[in-house]
Amino acid sequence: MEVNYLNFMKEIKFALYAIKKNLQNSAELKTSFLMNVFGMAINNTAFIIIWVFFVKTVGVINGWTAADIIGLLGFTTICFGIVLSVGDGLRRLPDLVSSGSFDRFLLSPKNLLVRIATSSFGSSAVGDMIFGAVCLIFYGILIQATLYQVLLIIFLIIIATIIFLSLVIIIHSTSFLFTDSDQVTLGIFNFFLTPSLFNGGAFHGLMRVFFMFIVPSLLVGTIPVEIVRDVSVSKLILIIILSVFWFWLSIKIFNKCVKKYESSNFMTFGQ
Amino acid sequence: MKAIRLPSKILKTLTKDRMHYPERLIVDTLSVVARFGVLIILYSYVFKINGGSINNTTFVTAAWSMFFYFSFMILGLRSISKYIMQDVKTGNVEVLFSKPISYMFYRFWWQIGLGLYSFIIITIVGGLSLYLAIGFPSTFTSSIFLFTVPFIFLGGVVLSLILYGIVGLLAFWIQDINPVFWIVDKAVMILGGSYLPVALFPLIMYKIALYSPFGASQFLTHSVYESWQVNWYELFSIQFFWIIILGFTLYLMFRGAKKKVSVNGG
Repeated sequence: MEVNYLNFMKEIKFALYAIKKNLQNSAELKTSFLMNVFGMAINNTAFIIIWVFFVKTVGVINGWTAADIIGLLGFTTICFGIVLSVGDGLRRLPDLVSSGSFDRFLLSPKNLLVRIATSSFGSSAVGDMIFGAVCLIFYGILIQATLYQVLLIIFLIIIATIIFLSLVIIIHSTSFLFTDSDQVTLGIFNFFLTPSLFNGGAFHGLMRVFFMFIVPSLLVGTIPVEIVRDVSVSKLILIIILSVFWFWLSIKIFNKCVKKYESSNFMTFGQ
Repeated sequence: MKAIRLPSKILKTLTKDRMHYPERLIVDTLSVVARFGVLIILYSYVFKINGGSINNTTFVTAAWSMFFYFSFMILGLRSISKYIMQDVKTGNVEVLFSKPISYMFYRFWWQIGLGLYSFIIITIVGGLSLYLAIGFPSTFTSSIFLFTVPFIFLGGVVLSLILYGIVGLLAFWIQDINPVFWIVDKAVMILGGSYLPVALFPLIMYKIALYSPFGASQFLTHSVYESWQVNWYELFSIQFFWIIILGFTLYLMFRGAKKKVSVNGG
């Protein structure tokens, strides 16, 4: 038991060290780093403009106001930012597999998934993270959040990030199943991400069930907003159970897919 | 003959490549289903709870307007910026400059060729599915619509290539064009009528969409509305104006870019 705990702590320590080094590396090119961060934050504003005008034109749908949409974008972009900044290596998985560079990760004594995820840093995703945080602060102010709701927001960021991370792992694990998989993973990722940026009030009936349980896009933004807004304990319990399930499933799928990997036997020295 | 040999070779080669490797088609289909498919369900619900009409626009008209936007996006013309940036960063641009072809025309045709196969398949299948599901708006049978749509589409293709080509050429000066690309791309997305059809725009936003190059590159989405029957020539003029202005800007930038190229060897 103690050995497991020590190993776990070692992995965490290693992950933090890798993230720190990646961040320092990105920040070295200061202008490019800052342009990426602020460019992405401005880029995300487009969704707020669209959905706010949408609400203005067509009115409130199923209780979803402009403030809720700001909250939705806050949750989605902060999860996106956290996962794809520190875990940007996962996005490179299709390239690593097709080029044969994955070999060097297999030889590493560290945890394979942690090693891959922290092998690269996505500087533009920091912009998403900042944008998400600002949106959530605004959301809290707009709904005049109580202390309980503020704590809920913080807790739900963690839960939604776990779900987002799980889906990123599952989607990119398909890299081991297809040749030239970068396009396929990108398509599946967009299929998952796009509904998470849509007005949550429009999802009802079968579509809501599909995007909650089959492709869990709504668990990243829509459901957290509804939990905070309605202070819904039943939805909170449901999202916690689903986050545990998706995380467990993602690890299972990743380990199974890795076994499909065949070394391309390229003479690379890593990068 | 020589003038059409390069485009036809590029289009043929890339279409064959796309047919052989259908992954791109899968990606584009998933992308359209995720974006347009969900939007259509969303709007059908929204129109239903608003009594079938918003701003004097019916669901059928709004759906076809958005379909035109997403169908046009399948061509993937915006990616020309990233290909130019890649050429500059990798040094490939030096090799392409030394060839007896125009670099910009080569990139333009390459970009069209990359998306053409998916565009044709998805537009036909998607269009048919949409027709079977909701039918056509009445404007589709008018002679003005039938006569003008091919031209406004071609104008949109040219203007998009020029607009994103300008963004791509910035790579000669600032290397990482991504932040500029994101801003231009989102301006096109908002003003082109992607998630919010142009007929539902507030007045100020409609004016910006009308008079900016970002909106002008997507005038195809305006062609389904009743207003197109009376203002089509105005929209054509605006699009033509931006093609001339931005085409000249692209020409000047390309001349400047050629002077910025440094051959590093190795």
